[in-house]
Amino acid sequence: MARAKLIFISGGVRSGKSAYAESLVRDFSAQRKIYLASGRAGDPEMTERIERHRKDREMDGWHTIEQPVRMEEVLPYILKKDAVLWDCVTTWLANELYEGWERNEMCSEIPGCMEQKWIQLQDTLLKLLDTAEFLTVVSNEVLDDFVRDDLYMRWLGRIHIWLVKQADQAFEMENGMAFRRK
Amino acid sequence: MHIIFGGAFNGKRQYVKERLAGMDVSWHEGRLPETENGNGFIVIAGLELWVKEQLGRGVNEERILVQVKKAVAEMQQDHFWVLTDMNRGIVPATALEREMRDVIGRLYQYLFAQAEQITRIWYGIPQTIKGADQNENLHKNRR
Repeated sequence: MARAKLIFISGGVRSGKSAYAESLVRDFSAQRKIYLASGRAGDPEMTERIERHRKDREMDGWHTIEQPVRMEEVLPYILKKDAVLWDCVTTWLANELYEGWERNEMCSEIPGCMEQKWIQLQDTLLKLLDTAEFLTVVSNEVLDDFVRDDLYMRWLGRIHIWLVKQADQAFEMENGMAFRRK
Repeated sequence: MHIIFGGAFNGKRQYVKERLAGMDVSWHEGRLPETENGNGFIVIAGLELWVKEQLGRGVNEERILVQVKKAVAEMQQDHFWVLTDMNRGIVPATALEREMRDVIGRLYQYLFAQAEQITRIWYGIPQTIKGADQNENLHKNRR
C-alpha cells in the first residue's frame, strides 16, 4: 500500500498557515477530516477559544482529537481514507519538553527523555502515514531570532528538518501566500 | 564569496560540510580568520558570537565593520560565511542584544552586497537568493 501524502507547512503567527492547511485537507476530499490539536488551555480565554474553534470545525465536518502529549494514543482512532491535519509541532514540543514541570521532573532536564519521545513521535507519524491517506503538519517560524531557549530551538530545528525530508511538499507561509520550498 | 543564510538550527553548517566534503577547509567558528595564504576553502561561522564578544569588550560598530571589511579584502581563496538570521524576532530586552541586532543587521547588509552568491537554508533546503542570474528570479531557484 502506498504511503499517505505528507505536506509540511510553516509560517509566522497569523500568516494564514492553518487556513491553508485546512483548505488542503478540504480539497483532498477524504472520507473523514481529522483535526489533531496539540493546544492546551492555560486560562479561560484559551478554553473558550479552543471550544469555539472546535465548534466551527464541527460545523464544517471535522472530527477534532485533542492530544497535547503522547501522540501514539491517537493511532487507534485513525482510519483508512482519513485526511489528517496536525496543529501544531511547536505546541506539541513545548508540551512534551516541559512535561512534568509541576512535579519538578521536567523532561528537558532528564537525560534521554526527549530523545525517547522523539523516536516515539517519528514512529507514530510513520504509522499514521501508513493508515491515513493524507497528513498535513503545521508549525511555526520561530528560529529567525536570538537563541533564547537553546534546547527547545535545537529540537524544533531537528524536527522540522526531518519533517521536510519526509514531506512530499513543504510550504513556507507569509501573509497568506504559500511559498512552496519542496 | 558565498553566504549561507538562515535561522538557527536550520542545517546551515551541515549544508556547507556536505558541499565541501573531502576538500581542504579551514573552519573559523566565532572568529575572523587571521591572514592566510594557504589553499583550499575558508569557512567563517558563528559571526554573531564574534560580534557579541567585540561589543562586550567595548569595540564599537565602526571598528567591527573595519575588521570585517579587512578580513573580506585579505582572503585570497574561496570563502563561505555561515550567517544566522536573528533579526525577525521581538525587540530584545537587554541593551547589548539590541545593539547586537543593529550591528548584525548592518553587517549582513554589507556582506550580502559583497557576496557573489547567497544561499538561504530553510530546514535543510537550499535556495539561491543571489547569484543565480541577473534578475534574481526566485521562483526558478529551487534546487
